[in-house]
Amino acid sequence: MFDSLLVAADYLTGGINLAYLGLGVVIGLLFGTVPGLGGATAIALLLPLTFGMEPEQAIILMGGIMGAVSIGGSVSAILLNTPGTAPNAATCFDGYPLTQQGKAGLAIGAAATASSIGGVIGVLILVLVLPIAKTIVLWFGPPAFFMMAVLGLTSLTVARGNMLRGLIAACLGLFIGFVGYDDIGGTERFTGGIEFLWDGISIVPMLIGLFAIAEMMKLYVSGGPIARAGSAARITGTRQGILSAFKNFKTVLSGSAIGSIVGSVPGVGGTVASFLSYSFTAQSSKDNQNFGKGDVRGVIASEAANNAKDGGALIPTLAFGIPGSAEMALFLGVLVLHGMDPGPMLLIERESTIFMLILALLTATIFSGTLVLLAARYLSKIAHVDSAVLIPAVIIVSLVGAYALHGSIGDVFAAAFFGLVGYVMIRANYPRITLIIAFVLSGLMERNFIQSMIMFRGDWLKFFGDTTTVVLFALSILVLLIPLIRFVRSRRRMA
Amino acid sequence: MTEKRKPITAWRVAVLLFTVVIAPPLGAELSDDKISIVIPYRPGGGFDRAVRTFAPYLARQLGEDVTVLPENLPGAGGRRGATKVYRAKADGTTLGIFNLPGIVLPEILGEQLAYDLRELSWIGRIESQSYVLLVAATSSVKSIDDLQAASTISFLSTGYGSSVLAASQIAADVLGLMGKDPIFLAGYAGTADYLVGLIRGDGNVALAPVSSAAKYIESGDLRPLAVSGEASGRAGVPTFADLGYPELTPLNVQRSVAGPPDMDPELLEMIRAAFLRAAADPDFEKAAEKARLELSVLDGEDAAQAVEANFNFYEKFKANLRNPNAL
Repeated sequence: MFDSLLVAADYLTGGINLAYLGLGVVIGLLFGTVPGLGGATAIALLLPLTFGMEPEQAIILMGGIMGAVSIGGSVSAILLNTPGTAPNAATCFDGYPLTQQGKAGLAIGAAATASSIGGVIGVLILVLVLPIAKTIVLWFGPPAFFMMAVLGLTSLTVARGNMLRGLIAACLGLFIGFVGYDDIGGTERFTGGIEFLWDGISIVPMLIGLFAIAEMMKLYVSGGPIARAGSAARITGTRQGILSAFKNFKTVLSGSAIGSIVGSVPGVGGTVASFLSYSFTAQSSKDNQNFGKGDVRGVIASEAANNAKDGGALIPTLAFGIPGSAEMALFLGVLVLHGMDPGPMLLIERESTIFMLILALLTATIFSGTLVLLAARYLSKIAHVDSAVLIPAVIIVSLVGAYALHGSIGDVFAAAFFGLVGYVMIRANYPRITLIIAFVLSGLMERNFIQSMIMFRGDWLKFFGDTTTVVLFALSILVLLIPLIRFVRSRRRMA
Repeated sequence: MTEKRKPITAWRVAVLLFTVVIAPPLGAELSDDKISIVIPYRPGGGFDRAVRTFAPYLARQLGEDVTVLPENLPGAGGRRGATKVYRAKADGTTLGIFNLPGIVLPEILGEQLAYDLRELSWIGRIESQSYVLLVAATSSVKSIDDLQAASTISFLSTGYGSSVLAASQIAADVLGLMGKDPIFLAGYAGTADYLVGLIRGDGNVALAPVSSAAKYIESGDLRPLAVSGEASGRAGVPTFADLGYPELTPLNVQRSVAGPPDMDPELLEMIRAAFLRAAADPDFEKAAEKARLELSVLDGEDAAQAVEANFNFYEKFKANLRNPNAL
C-alpha cells in the first residue's frame, strides 16, 4: 500500500500533471460557484475531452474538480444566499446573515478553512476505512437507508420559528418529491401527462428558484446592496475566519466525521451530511441562540461536512463500484472510458491509480481553499454591489445554470416557478430549508421503506431486526430529545 | 473467469470483400456534415461509452469532413431520446442508440408512446450481452436444482418496466419458481446496487448482464449458476439451454443504432455500409476492448429482425410481466 502511495505521489507531482490538477481546481471552483452548474456538469462536459489523455491525467483532472466544487459552492451560499450545490444549502443559514452584517470575509475565511480541513480529514478517514470498506457498505440495506432518511429528517428541528409552518414546508417538500414516475409502483404521479415531469423535479432548478431567484426578488423589493446599511464598509475578517475554524476545531472534527459517514450513503449523502452536521452543532453547542442569525460555527459545521463527504462518497465507489454521488457516477464513466473496470477488484488491480485520485482530491481541497482565501476580500465586495447591477446578473446566470443541467427549457420554467414560490415563502415566513431537506429525503425514504416492506412481506417489526437500523433509530430519538433535555436542564438551573 | 470473444471473422471478410471488390454505390449523400447520435441516458454509462467509442470510426467511414457528435438526452427512461430520433428529419443527420428490450417493454406493457420502434430505420447493432443468473457466494445454492429446492425465492432488480425485472419474471416462470410465491424486490437504482444487495442478502437471486456481473464473480462475491444465449462465453457456466431451459436463451440486452422512419433507401444503405466498415475497423476493435464493449455486430436488416424478435419474445410472456409490487 505504501509503495502504491509513493508511486501515486511521484506521478501527481510530475510536470504537466500538476497543471491538470490546477486546471481541475479552477474549473471546479467556477462550476461550484455558479448555481446550477456543479461538479457533475463540469465532469460531464469534460468527459469527452479526456478521451485523448492518459488515464492518470484524466483522473487527476477529475479529482481536482471534485475537490474544489464544494468550496466554490460555499461562496455563492455565503454571498448570495444561493447554494452553488445542494450540499452547500446549510451554509446559507449563517453564511448569508454574516454577509448582511458586512462580515462576508469572516464567513468565507471560515468556510474555506473548514472545507479544506474537512476535506483532508474526510480523505484520511477514507484511507483508514478502506480495508473494511466492503463491510461498511454491506451494513446499509433498504431498512438502514430508510432509517438514515428518518435521521436526516430530524435535522428539520433546526428550523427556527413557527413549528407548524416548518411542518407544512416539509410536507410540501415531500409532496414535490413524489412527483414523477414511481418505478416500484409503476405509475406516473402528479405529472399531468407532461413528459418533462416524468423524471420528477430536479433539485438544481428548485434550489436556483427557491434561493437565487427568490433572494433577488426580495432584494429588488428592498433595494440597495446585500450588506445592510451601517455594516462595515471595509472588507475585513478573512484572517479572523481562518482563526475561527481552528478555535472551533471540535466543530470541524464532528462535521468531518458526520460528513464522511453520511456522505457514504449513495444518492443523498452530501446534502444530508451538511444539514445533519449543522443540526448537531446547533443543538449541542453552548450559547446557540445565534444559530441562523450569523453564528460562524454554523458555517464551519456545514462546510467541514460538505468537503469530508467526498471522501465518504468514495467508500461505496471503491468497495463495489456504486457511485456515492452524481459526480462519482460520472467519474466511474471516466474510469471505464480509460479501460478501468469499477468494482470490487478496482482497488486490488489499480491501487496506485486510486491513491492518485485520493491524493488529487486531498491536494485540490487544500489548493482550492487557499485560492478562495486569497480571493476572499474581492469576493466579499459582491455584498456591496448595487442591486440594479447584481440582480440581472444573478438571474441570468441562474437561469443559464438551470438550462445547463439537462439542456431542457422545462428546468428554466421550473426555476422561475420555484422563484415565485420561494418569494412567497419568504414573505409568509415559511422556511425554505425544511422544504429542501424533505424534498431531498423523500425519494430515499419512500423507495427504501417500500423495498423494506416488500422484503419483510409487510411485517414492519422486522425493521428492528437489523442492527444498523436500530442504531440509526436510536440516534434519531436522541437528536429529537436533545432540545428537550437542554430545555429541562435550563429550567432546573433557573429554578 | 476467462474472457472469450466471439469470432467475427466471417462477416468481417464479407464486409472487406464488399468494400474492396464491389465498391459501394455512393449515390446518396448526407445533407450536412454533422451527424448527431442521440444517447437517451446520462454521460458515463454503458450506452454513452459505446457511442463515444464508436463515433470517431463511423465518422471516418462517412467521409472526410463528417463529424459524428454524441448527444446526451436523458429523461423519461429513454423515451425522450427515442422520441427525438423518431421525430427527426429523415436526412441521416440524427441517429440514436437504443436499449433492447428496455425500449421495447413500455409498448409490450401497454403504454401509449410517441414513437414506434418498428418504424425506425435500423442501421445496425453494436453490442449484445447475455444475462447470467447469480446468487451470493456465501449462499448454499450452488445450482438451479438447489434454487428450485429453496424455501424462499427473492429476485433483486431495477424498477418496473426494466429489462432485468422482466427477465427475472420470465426466468421465475420458466424455472418453475412461481409456486414459491417469490418476492420481486425491484426499485434498485442500478445494476451495481442490486448486485451489492444480493451480496448483502436483501434477496437470494438476481439476473444481470454478463459484463456487469463479471467483476463481482471475479472478486468471489457472487456465484453464477447459468447464462442465457447460445454459448457460455465469459460467464463460464452452462447455458439455460444446456440445463433444459431453452426458452430463456433469447434473454439479452442489445445496443442498436437507428435513424428516423422513412429514410431514403439509398441513404440508409450508405450509412449501414459505413456502420459495418466502422465496426470492422481493427482500431475500433482495440478501442472497444479497452472500453470493455461486448461487441456483437449485426447489419441493419438483422438488427431490425432482432427488434421484431424482441417484440415476439416479450409478447409471448406478456402475462408474466404485470407489476409484482403494484400498490
